[in-house]
Amino acid sequence: MKARLSVKKGVALAMVLSSVMMSSAHALTVYTAGPGTLAKGLASGFEKKTGVKVDIFQATTGKVMARLEAEQANPQADILISASWDTAEDLHNRGWLLPYQSANAGKVPDTLKSADYIAQGISALGIVWNSKSGTPEPKEWKDLTAPEFKDKVTTPDPALSGASLDLLIGLQNGMGDKAWDLFDALKKNGMVVSGPNAQAVTPVMQGAKAAVFGAVDYVTYGNIEQGESLKVIFPASGTVIAPRPMMILKTTPHEADAKAFIDYVLSPEGQKMVADAWLMPARTDVEAKRPLFTELNVLPTKNDGTSERSDVLKRFNTLFAQ
Amino acid sequence: MNQRLISLMTIAVLVILVALPLVFIVLQAVFPQFSAGSLAGAFSGVGPLFSEPQLAAMFSGTLQIALGVALLSAAIGLPLGVARGLFNVPCPRLWDLLFLIPFLTPPYIAALSWMLVLQTNGYLAQLLGFDLNALLFSKSGIVLVMTLNIFPVVYFAVSRSLLASGQRLALVARVHGATPWRAFLHVTMPMLSPALAAGMLLAFTLAIEEYGVPAALGTRSGVVMLTVGIEKRLADWPVDLPGASMLSLVLVVIALSAWWLQGKLTGGKDVTSVTGKPTENSGATLGVAAVPVVLVMACVGFLAVGVPGLSMAVTGIMSTLSGGLSLANATTSHYAALFAQQGDALTALGTSLSLAFASALVTGFVGLLAAWLVVVQKIKGSRVIDALSLMPAALPSIVVGVGLILLWNRSFWPVSPYNSWAILLLSYCCLLLPWPVRYVGSALRQLGGNLEPAARVHGASAFQALRFIVLPLVFPAMLAAMLMVFAIASRELVTSLLLAPAGTQTVAVFIWRQFEQGSVGQGMAMATLTLVTGLILMLTALAIMQRGTQR
Repeated sequence: MKARLSVKKGVALAMVLSSVMMSSAHALTVYTAGPGTLAKGLASGFEKKTGVKVDIFQATTGKVMARLEAEQANPQADILISASWDTAEDLHNRGWLLPYQSANAGKVPDTLKSADYIAQGISALGIVWNSKSGTPEPKEWKDLTAPEFKDKVTTPDPALSGASLDLLIGLQNGMGDKAWDLFDALKKNGMVVSGPNAQAVTPVMQGAKAAVFGAVDYVTYGNIEQGESLKVIFPASGTVIAPRPMMILKTTPHEADAKAFIDYVLSPEGQKMVADAWLMPARTDVEAKRPLFTELNVLPTKNDGTSERSDVLKRFNTLFAQ
Repeated sequence: MNQRLISLMTIAVLVILVALPLVFIVLQAVFPQFSAGSLAGAFSGVGPLFSEPQLAAMFSGTLQIALGVALLSAAIGLPLGVARGLFNVPCPRLWDLLFLIPFLTPPYIAALSWMLVLQTNGYLAQLLGFDLNALLFSKSGIVLVMTLNIFPVVYFAVSRSLLASGQRLALVARVHGATPWRAFLHVTMPMLSPALAAGMLLAFTLAIEEYGVPAALGTRSGVVMLTVGIEKRLADWPVDLPGASMLSLVLVVIALSAWWLQGKLTGGKDVTSVTGKPTENSGATLGVAAVPVVLVMACVGFLAVGVPGLSMAVTGIMSTLSGGLSLANATTSHYAALFAQQGDALTALGTSLSLAFASALVTGFVGLLAAWLVVVQKIKGSRVIDALSLMPAALPSIVVGVGLILLWNRSFWPVSPYNSWAILLLSYCCLLLPWPVRYVGSALRQLGGNLEPAARVHGASAFQALRFIVLPLVFPAMLAAMLMVFAIASRELVTSLLLAPAGTQTVAVFIWRQFEQGSVGQGMAMATLTLVTGLILMLTALAIMQRGTQR
């Protein structure tokens, strides 16, 4: 009798606990890469408008994707905002995405949307240069191979940053094998590969290094606004852009809320926040605070498939592992 | 409540906290398809493990760094510990407090602080005109930075052991004509060696499981460690769960081998056990030697606490990094931003502090029960309890994180702590359980053997005897262990990064994300705020405890 009572108690406790968890689960869960302040701003703006709470998990693209994959048996995310267009294509091919055309997507260029994902904003890669470093201002990628920049250049690890890998592929598409001569010269000039984007930029801020080869621009624009003596330079020979796809996962139990969130991000109000985070807005009718990709020489990053990506990565790693 | 029920409960808790996550890692390593629910292809992950080109580098990197840290920690911690334990050093409490601070500072913050000081054009170069960039980004640099964070475990092990054992035996040797040096070498040192070995072992395990320092400094020094490899496989796309589990097992094997070796070397002597009551400690006077001793201790303290602490505090009030060290560059805007950001920073602080408090309570309670069952009750299966409760000390935190994900992120649990704060509590409790078990265990060994039987004879139940007789007597040791748990849990990074659910941030995760987004100033401001808060809370707890004992 006593034992049965405790079993009953246990069941009741489990039911109470699960109901607590169910009720707390009625919030929209957004997994997002990159600027945390933007994600929080969008979340609180959306909550104010609709009353739906938004839980955010924010990390680098690689970590967000890893978590998504680890949770595939028991998915937690409703919406994913990544910083790499490939990830969206990959999830699309796996059939994980819910098709949706937002009513606010009309002003987004066709190259930046598809049936089930659409750009939130766009960043570009450039040279980040410390203007107090006592080095001449670089105008071109190859300027970083000059003797003035000996041992003074860092670059994010293309294995950790999809955008950095895009830059390698873009340069290879634009310059052919000359691109590899460039990487070789950079290696000979003492360029170091250091972690994700921030780990490459921080030494440049303090002046330990003079320039970053291929840094994500919006983080640096934010730093410049705070008064850091940095400059973002887009070489005329071309660079790559990184549109940030957002998508709804098919497994979402909150389809209507998720669609409303996409609508909100693409509304003029949401796009204004994107622009305030120093990204290029996806909508052409919202003003940016920085150069738009229409003003840059954008190199194509399209390729035949994943094999080329891993080949380029392998070749780069062998070059810099020496 | 009878003893049987208590022991069953304790075993159940230990199985959930420690055994199950470990079992799931082993299963995942053996069956690569385990996470998809299939047992196909057993041991097919072993081949890829050995063909992994970086395995040798990771293995030797981990071993070299950890050995270096253990030896260097002994080189710094032993002399300081001996000075503190044998002599009347001025302001002894102050030194203990000073060397406790590294426990409150997350190692990766210390690493970043050192980077800001030593790298080309860092604070050192700005102040004195030279830098140690080459030293910092090298194997020795990593060993140095980690040692300065870890050596206090040797210091505390050595000085506590000397203070507890007293010097009666050494005095006997002196009376019989030995020189002070001879007495130290032949009497004090052998008595000290188990404590030294235990301290070095702890330094070794803390070094092999360290993630923050190699993640911050490793890429540029060309050093790879197993923890970084595991994290990369687990948390960067594409995910490689079998690979992460395999590497986790390698790490566990290294840790357990070190334990086995230490057991062999010290002949299985229990280090924390104290024979007899603690003697009144009358340390030798230092005389003129006090000046150099205090000078050396101050120098080490300055290097271990002062430099990284100052670098952290200064960066937190610097408007821009490129502005350099100048009064014009000072600002309070980072702190203002911390309080403004929709309350995020303060929520993170609150989350961390309450999780740390809860972990201290849970581990204190479970640790008391486990130690009591093993030391006093000596029940059947006490060896299992002992092994399970001390096992996490040899488990790197990243392994515990992997195990908890593998265990709880399953659809077959009707209720799962995964994706809620409860998973963080589970991981902290698992990782930090050995502290209370060891502290309370060694306090229990000093209790007279007839107090509890006396209570039982007078009709108290086992639980009542534990509650009213044992607990009050071991409470100081338990409280000290709980303070330790609180300090470490309030800044834990590795499992928090892996397990923190959407919408929940702990302090360490918050700071990590700030660095990830290039906001170094805000990250450092938060780190300073957390350190000060943690220190104030712990000092208050100690002061309350002291007032309690005075009454």
